[in-house]
Amino acid sequence: MKPLDCFHCGEPVLTDTQFTTCINDQQQAMCCPGCQAVSKAIIDAGLSKYYQFRTEPGNKQNAIVPEELNAFCAFDLVEVQEDFVHKVSDTSTVSLSIDGITCAACAWLIEHKLKHVNGIIKIQVNSTTERALITWLPEQIKLSDILNKISAIGYQAAPYQVDEQELLSKKNSRQFLLKLGLAGFATMQVMMFALALYAGYFTDLELEFRDYFRWVSLIFAAPVVFYSALPFYFSAIRSIFSGRLNMDVSVSIAILGAYIASCIATINGNGEVYFESVSMFTFFLLLGRYFEQNARQKASVSSSNLHKLVPLTAHLITQIGSKDIPAKGLKVGDIILVKPGETVAADGVIIDGRSSLNEAMLTGEQMPVSKSLSCEVYAGTINIEQPIRVEVTAVGQDQLVAEIIRLQESASNNKPRVALYVDSISNYFTWTILVVAALTYLVWKIYWPEDAFWVTLSVLVATCPCALALATPTAVTCATGIFTRIGVIARTPGVFEKLTQVRHVVFDKTGTLTCGDLNIESTELIKATDETQVLAIAACLEASSLHPIAKAFESYRDPNFSVNQSLNHIGQGLSGEVNGHQYRIGSAAFVGASDIRNSKAQSIYLADESQILAKFILVDAIRCDAAATVKILKESGCRVSIASGDTSDHVEEVASKVGIKDVNKGLSPQGKLQLVRQYQTQSHVAMFGDGINDAPVLAGANLSIAMGSGAAVTKSSADLILLGDKLSRYTDAVNVAKLTEKIIKQNLFWALGYNLFIIPLAVTGHVLPYVAALGMSASSLIVVGNSLRLLKVRL
Amino acid sequence: MSIIYVLIPIAMLFVLIAICIFFWAVKSEQFDDLDRQSVSILFDDDKPVSTETKNTESKNTESNDSTPS
Repeated sequence: MKPLDCFHCGEPVLTDTQFTTCINDQQQAMCCPGCQAVSKAIIDAGLSKYYQFRTEPGNKQNAIVPEELNAFCAFDLVEVQEDFVHKVSDTSTVSLSIDGITCAACAWLIEHKLKHVNGIIKIQVNSTTERALITWLPEQIKLSDILNKISAIGYQAAPYQVDEQELLSKKNSRQFLLKLGLAGFATMQVMMFALALYAGYFTDLELEFRDYFRWVSLIFAAPVVFYSALPFYFSAIRSIFSGRLNMDVSVSIAILGAYIASCIATINGNGEVYFESVSMFTFFLLLGRYFEQNARQKASVSSSNLHKLVPLTAHLITQIGSKDIPAKGLKVGDIILVKPGETVAADGVIIDGRSSLNEAMLTGEQMPVSKSLSCEVYAGTINIEQPIRVEVTAVGQDQLVAEIIRLQESASNNKPRVALYVDSISNYFTWTILVVAALTYLVWKIYWPEDAFWVTLSVLVATCPCALALATPTAVTCATGIFTRIGVIARTPGVFEKLTQVRHVVFDKTGTLTCGDLNIESTELIKATDETQVLAIAACLEASSLHPIAKAFESYRDPNFSVNQSLNHIGQGLSGEVNGHQYRIGSAAFVGASDIRNSKAQSIYLADESQILAKFILVDAIRCDAAATVKILKESGCRVSIASGDTSDHVEEVASKVGIKDVNKGLSPQGKLQLVRQYQTQSHVAMFGDGINDAPVLAGANLSIAMGSGAAVTKSSADLILLGDKLSRYTDAVNVAKLTEKIIKQNLFWALGYNLFIIPLAVTGHVLPYVAALGMSASSLIVVGNSLRLLKVRL
Repeated sequence: MSIIYVLIPIAMLFVLIAICIFFWAVKSEQFDDLDRQSVSILFDDDKPVSTETKNTESKNTESNDSTPS
């Protein structure tokens, strides 16, 4: 029998009818307690309509853990809110990024859930950007309550850091839309009159009416030329000043030249008019740019949404007790208390207690580092075992994290520039056109002076750079669309060309080639007989610990086992009573086993009162597609290397498993950067990373790729972000980029071919205005159509 | 034919009005979320919340619960 699908998220139900919710008088099966809780909250709020409206299933829920709910409280601190809340008199407004929006029904659901809550004045959910704009009264409701209400119906909301790219493109997009709409309206009108003029051209239209139509066209084309086409003029002026002509120079000359010439013809009542060509030309080009802009905007919105703001707070110890303050408010010399599971808020020295800290975000090392009295701890690292008191020694810009970020900034400032071949083609093309036009004018001026101007103009219009100017943007837009579909965010322009130029790929190890958390590779039974039982006992003991090792056992929890009096022996292990028997779990020394040290894998032992029961071997598992990706990269002729901050033998082991020969380990962020610089002398280098320690090297590489689960700092210095953490997405992206390059080349080839064919005709004065207009639109449409073929790619 | 001296200016006036409406629509953010606004008319207002909901609407069947694509 086929298992039912969960009514909420559509995943198969494996728990039979353990979890159900009554929806419209029917018991519907759910796959997990999370989905059950969420669907119940939706029904209780009277929003059962959601299940009718939705076009996509909901997100799979992870049962909400109390820790997360506690974390929301930090958002209520006034100093924390300063960063992202906008206050007007007595109301506050915040923009939240919401994870889990799958379709418009989600937006409706969130709005209706919160609309009637006391204290919320306005809520607007945008399903395209996956964000909510909320205005509320702080006296009546706290921000943490709002976040809790949203998470109750199964969405995770958090403030986010707006990407710089997005700030720039948001205004641009709207401006583009206005200019495009206006050009569209005007072009339609001008075209109607152009039809009448063409009819008059082939039959005979009275001069009076012809001039009237021309005047009307002139009026309609004016806003297109003087408002819609502005971006082209600005870009042309910029490129003239920079000394490299781009396509916009010839575009601007053609638009302005044709318009002014047509005006003169209209006023004098002779010659030809090109109003419809000018309007259509502008409209087409704007359309291409608008799509490109939109694709870029989408990518920047996604990368902003990934950059969640997590407020860093600290328990400050004062004379009268302790109080919670934001990390920003700490001063050197303050004493803070860091509980297990919390993030250290500032660099400092331990003055009381001992514990182990997870410094993976700084070093990429997975295993916690034991620290005792007067050891240094760093902001951003996570305390694992015991509460410690820390005296703050550095705040703000003096901290280690800030050091690394500064290194990242300096690296990104001297990032190698990639010369884009499209720019150089447009440079030559523009020069050629201008020279040809000038020569044409001179020659005609000598022999047939009265026609010189018109022929020159037809050269400019007919050799329209339109198709050339559309060649790249349309292809890039389609490719960006595919990237979004396969879960790759392209953050910077020019990524497609870089992707095809990379000949050397460098991987970080932890979190990139490996999953970044420990897993149980194998269980050796020593005196025990039942593997599931020892795993359940171990999981039960480890339940209270925050150590990465404890996470490995999480999936083996069994509700039939419960633990009493569990004790945490720092740096050694845990002991406790499970179902009436004493057990100990931990290192060989702790349980009294004779251990043959295996440096490549972590092993821990489980023992009862008298004997050792089992040995668990733990590894940081390699991503399932790592080896395949490396193989494909090698086959395509790339060199592959590892650059890791880790010093253990695990690096070599991972390298041999995925098939990488060139291994560099124990590198500092600075060292990684130097290594990549050295590689760059030979070829273009792509760097993969996820931790803060990778940020500088990512900023310095020709092409940088961050994992979606990585640190925010890392993602903001990357060119590409791989969502869903599948390395194979990179090889897909390379394939798309290669295809894109092919399409761009075809487009350019076609555009150049068309121009080569039409130039001689135009120079000799054989191109009539309507032929020029026809050729121009046809060549543009062919280019756009060719780019659209990209969307049919199946990966 | 002279009628076009009257008709065309009227047409121009209409175009001008259309452009003004378009500008107003863009500026009031109506183009910001096209997925959402296109279906918002289909969503009814919510039912009054009650613990024992009398169900008068069409039954939800498994068929309108789309499977993930």
